[in-house]
Amino acid sequence: MACLVRSWIPLLFLQSFLVAIAFGSNEGEEFSEELLLKPLPDRKVLAHFHFENRAPPSNSHGRNHHLFPKAISQLVQKFRVKEMELSFTQGRWNHEHWGGFDPLSSMNAKPVGVELWAVFDVPQSQVDISWKNLTHALSGLFCASINFLESSTSYAAPTWGFGTNSDKLRYGSLPREAVCTENLTPWLKLLPCRDKDGISALMNRPSVYRGFYHSQRLHLSTVESGQEGLGSGIVLEQTLTVVIQPETTSVETNMQPSWSLSSLFGRKVVGSCVLAKSSNVYLQLEGRLGHESKNVDTEIEAHKLWMNSDFDLSLKPDRVIRESSSLLFIFDIDKSSDSEPFDLGLTWKLPSKWSCEQAPLHASRFLMGSGNERGAIAILLKATESQEKLSGRNLTTDGRCTIKANIFQIFPWYIKVYYHTLQIFVDQQQKTDSEVLKKINVSPSTDKVSSGMLEMMLELPCEVKSAAISIEYDKGFLHIDEYPPDANQGFDIPSALISFPSHHASLDFQEELSKSPLLSSFKEKSLVRSYTEVLLVPLTTPDFSMPYNVITITCTIFALYFGSLLNVLRRRIGEEERFLKSQAGKKRGGLKQLLSRLTAKIRGRPIEAPSSESPAAESSFLSSKLIFKIILVAGAAAAWQYFSTDK
Amino acid sequence: MKVLTLVMLLCYSFAFSSGDTTIHTNNWAVLVCTSRFWFNYRHMANTLSLYRTVKRLGIPDERIILMLADDMACNARNEYPAQVFNNENHKLNLYGDNVEVDYRGYEVTVENFLRVLTGRHENAVPRSKRLLSDEGSHILLYMTGHGGDEFLKFQDAEELQSHDLADAVKQMKEKRRFKELMIMVDTCQAATLFNQLQSPDVLAIGSSLKGENSYSHHLDSDVGVSVVDRFTYYTLAFFERLNIYDNASLNSLFRSYDPKLLMSTAYYRTDLYQPHLAEVPVTNFFGSVMETLHTDSVYKAFSSKTSNNKINSEMPLNQLSEHDELQKANIQNDELKTEKQKCPYTQMRVDLHKKLEKLENVDTVVNLGIAVMLLVVMVSSSLL
Repeated sequence: MACLVRSWIPLLFLQSFLVAIAFGSNEGEEFSEELLLKPLPDRKVLAHFHFENRAPPSNSHGRNHHLFPKAISQLVQKFRVKEMELSFTQGRWNHEHWGGFDPLSSMNAKPVGVELWAVFDVPQSQVDISWKNLTHALSGLFCASINFLESSTSYAAPTWGFGTNSDKLRYGSLPREAVCTENLTPWLKLLPCRDKDGISALMNRPSVYRGFYHSQRLHLSTVESGQEGLGSGIVLEQTLTVVIQPETTSVETNMQPSWSLSSLFGRKVVGSCVLAKSSNVYLQLEGRLGHESKNVDTEIEAHKLWMNSDFDLSLKPDRVIRESSSLLFIFDIDKSSDSEPFDLGLTWKLPSKWSCEQAPLHASRFLMGSGNERGAIAILLKATESQEKLSGRNLTTDGRCTIKANIFQIFPWYIKVYYHTLQIFVDQQQKTDSEVLKKINVSPSTDKVSSGMLEMMLELPCEVKSAAISIEYDKGFLHIDEYPPDANQGFDIPSALISFPSHHASLDFQEELSKSPLLSSFKEKSLVRSYTEVLLVPLTTPDFSMPYNVITITCTIFALYFGSLLNVLRRRIGEEERFLKSQAGKKRGGLKQLLSRLTAKIRGRPIEAPSSESPAAESSFLSSKLIFKIILVAGAAAAWQYFSTDK
Repeated sequence: MKVLTLVMLLCYSFAFSSGDTTIHTNNWAVLVCTSRFWFNYRHMANTLSLYRTVKRLGIPDERIILMLADDMACNARNEYPAQVFNNENHKLNLYGDNVEVDYRGYEVTVENFLRVLTGRHENAVPRSKRLLSDEGSHILLYMTGHGGDEFLKFQDAEELQSHDLADAVKQMKEKRRFKELMIMVDTCQAATLFNQLQSPDVLAIGSSLKGENSYSHHLDSDVGVSVVDRFTYYTLAFFERLNIYDNASLNSLFRSYDPKLLMSTAYYRTDLYQPHLAEVPVTNFFGSVMETLHTDSVYKAFSSKTSNNKINSEMPLNQLSEHDELQKANIQNDELKTEKQKCPYTQMRVDLHKKLEKLENVDTVVNLGIAVMLLVVMVSSSLL
């Protein structure tokens, strides 16, 4: 017993030490959960979940994780990832109605399928290997075929067109990747409360995937500590953006539908995730400024903001913040409980209309030409309403007002683009390259080795109504093994990225809100960007039974042709008849002879004599042959034996 | 040299006999749906039903390799997003909230399937996509799709032939990747897929004989397609009544198939499988139920005699001989054992040595050995 006690004492010490360490590192790790709700002008509701997890810089011996997912920190450590973003998206972001010039859309409007980009902190020669290993690891982590991005034909290394200038950046996208529950579940498992508690409990799979648009994003970046001996900290940002159509009973079409969290998701929030530092829900209403007075100092004024003639909120907001064109209601869900769940609802009383701010140019992309041989890709940039407002902002040195637009596009190798056919039209007039093209970077594709990449910077005049870029291509042929099982569906060209380097979106909150990661990320200036649609190119598809058909038909034709030709050339009808006649005569003579012989035999000599003699002779001949053979084989064997033993 | 090869052959035969007595330590499941396109919804529902069943009966997600050739749950044609049903009553959402698909879409190819079985992957492939089974594993391999005489179609583009399957299984056996393997196939003419199997400890069950079709069970008019196949439907009907503690035997499973209901004849190939089917519980393959070994104390597992005997009776033959040493030094012995497990050849040699020691009349053995040697020398010299 004494021995036992003695052995316990150091253990206790150790334990207390460990606890101290644990709490020490726990202080640094921070997790916050936030949800932004926003009614959209086209009677839909946007829900934007935002989770941020910060791991502090640690020493090189590794770290103790409490909140931060170990899988992610291992990923960062093993592949030396400096920054990485992975997104799973289905549906297309509607830039006209859902906004194109706010931080939310520029960060969360993603191309269909999977998009991955990563910046590595390794020597230049190892970047591709790290990328390959990273894609495999992510494919295991997120149950998706991200490993298809490992082949050099599916990714590219953008230099400046992507927005992040680094020579260790790799970018790839899989437009046809399905996004479903199996991708969301591992993503949720990275959260400390998973989907069991807090805001993430709202994520009912059927209602998320019933939406018009859902984009699940994971962004991680390392923060250099700057201190000697310390590693880098990691910031993991996970967002899920969903656009849902609330079910409405009202018949009026111009009335905005009323909704509540439980009607949107079928669930309620019953409390915050206890591990989160902050859990907030925001409701953003756009275009509300004309209705209310500017100052909201008094209690009555504040009350008027959330319960007025236009709309009702089911809960009293904790705070109200004004932005230049919108109102932001802040709710703290810490107070909610099982008995009093947090179920925010918005009821519209009067028809209401507003519009979203849009990007300076609206981009769309389409295919031209027909047939299975060649075609052309066109990108059309159209002026939007917001352009008038923006003009005058970007004056160049010589006083002209211009809009800069970067276009970044990857072409699969089987789309063989002829870069010399690049044509640029501004307001339906063709322009020479030097007039509008400021910068261009082209890396041509190599068949079955690498994909092509096009980066260009256009400088368009502010008063432009439309600009179009077209480029011609030939369709390549794939090897019969390279076709996917559903080749008849066509092949996808990944989305092009259009960004406006001189435009930055940010929400300008009048109050200082350093506490909320979501709002502070909205306050930061983000590059305005939009992705075009995915193009579907039909290629010549193989017909696997065709070679067989060709062979059989060709052989039949050859046989028919040569057979009849030979017949015609070789056949001599007179000769043949004569031959046939003589044959017939011989045959009859032979028969007669045989008959006469037979009769003679029957009459005279016995019948058995000739038949009995010949088999005997044959058998003796056979046996002698057999004996000879045996002797030969035996002799050969003996000789072999002799020579082999001699050696 | 010849003698040495003979000895080595002997060693191998001993090694195999010792491999058979390894205790069952873990369960794996490889569930494959090979059909693409929406109208093959039922194949995915089949696979997911089995996935749910084996998960319910205790196989964890990391030991299930799930291959789905298409995305049905979030398919644009699916009226119920993120949900898959195998019955028109829609009571059970097979997709649930926690499904882990390891291979999906274009990744489901014959090549990847064979790689999973044989364990030949690229280095970068993550652990979740590998079948990390060992010689104590019971593996359930379930496949569904469109098949024919000795083949199974993958994605309407490739075929897995019965020879390929048999080769893969043979390779698995040689690499000691399983203790027992159960192959369950729900396709047309499923029985023909097992024709080439030769490896021992393989149990095969197919939904239909040669010349027979496997039919779907019923159509769901809301989903718009058939949602489950007959064979799988009745398999599930059997398993829904079970829980992890039930002791139903494989025989009772096989007897539950009624050719009239299946509209085909279920086929079992048992000639490669030694245990009596009536004594094998279904949870040996469809669940993860392990035999527990009772030890008296935490660390000194091998010190007491009773526990020692108990464990040894279930231990491989090659460790029987170490009985005496076990009592002397536990720690040392543990080290030794791990060493031996690492190097099978030395282990074999030690076994052989021990076996020879046990023999009573060594002289006859020596004489016999000399006679065999003489024979070998004669044969070899005459051949040369």
